[in-house]
Amino acid sequence: MDEPGPKDGELARRAAGGDDAAFAELVRRHAPRVRALCSATLGGPSEAEDAAQEAFLKAHRALARFSGQASFGTWLHRIAVNHCLDVLRAAGRRRSESLDALLEADGSALGGVLSEASPAKALEDRDTVKRLLARLNPEQRLALTLREAEGLSYEEIASVMACSLDSVKSRLKRARIELLEITRHFSDADGV
Amino acid sequence: MNHEQVKERLSEWLDGELDAAIGADVSGHLDACASCNAEASRLKRLGAALFKPFPADPRSTEAFVARVMARVEEDAVSAWERFAALFLAPAFGLALAGLLLAIYLPSSDDDAPLGVAMSIDADAVLGVAP
Repeated sequence: MDEPGPKDGELARRAAGGDDAAFAELVRRHAPRVRALCSATLGGPSEAEDAAQEAFLKAHRALARFSGQASFGTWLHRIAVNHCLDVLRAAGRRRSESLDALLEADGSALGGVLSEASPAKALEDRDTVKRLLARLNPEQRLALTLREAEGLSYEEIASVMACSLDSVKSRLKRARIELLEITRHFSDADGV
Repeated sequence: MNHEQVKERLSEWLDGELDAAIGADVSGHLDACASCNAEASRLKRLGAALFKPFPADPRSTEAFVARVMARVEEDAVSAWERFAALFLAPAFGLALAGLLLAIYLPSSDDDAPLGVAMSIDADAVLGVAP
């Protein structure tokens, strides 16, 4: 989304020519969204911060290749998404963490997530959220983040993740089933 | 539509991505079925529980911009150092090697260490008249 003042495309052109002030303005405009994406996808604040910085750095290196066919925001978003995917893949899938370890983290909060008794609210413990999301494979986790945190449509998710619509549907469905099963386990355990 | 078929489609229904007719079928079933409706509610709560909005704080954004630009500057310096290491150093090394070879290359004339065929007019040197 272009702000008043020079359009993103013009700033990108200047930044590609070495204008650091132009690039700084692009960072300023798009930082909230990129940071939100990294925070939602990766969970840990320092990892998210590092990933967001790295995404902008990658964009800066690739400026010469920005053709202007897509909007700068879309182009940057794709770089950030791919970087988050790389980070998740490098971290590996922590399926080995047992449900007991999750229970230790905050079993009552997990059980309460599905409870009808209290209004739906975000889990306060970001580490618990991170542990839960770590149960998913990187592609499932990213698809769920793009849908729930960013509100992207299936078509937009497919475009950003460079996969088919069927893959998006399948990833979202499996991610939700997996997480529901875990949280249901704690609901049952607590007798909620 | 039976329970299994509805549960199979709940994820897409939640996201509003079902075809209108099928979506209407699912909604109709949920209105009438407490169990499937409860499952749909659990799915909705899951999203809200896991994904908190990230508030955009202008001061935090400015600090972030400063950190990114510091890294951009470091990156530019590193890029130059990589270029120097990859191209300039070997080029300099080759040039130096070439110069040394030129200086010390053995030639047929032992009196001409520069390897240049220097034509020395011995008579002129000795002052002998031509």
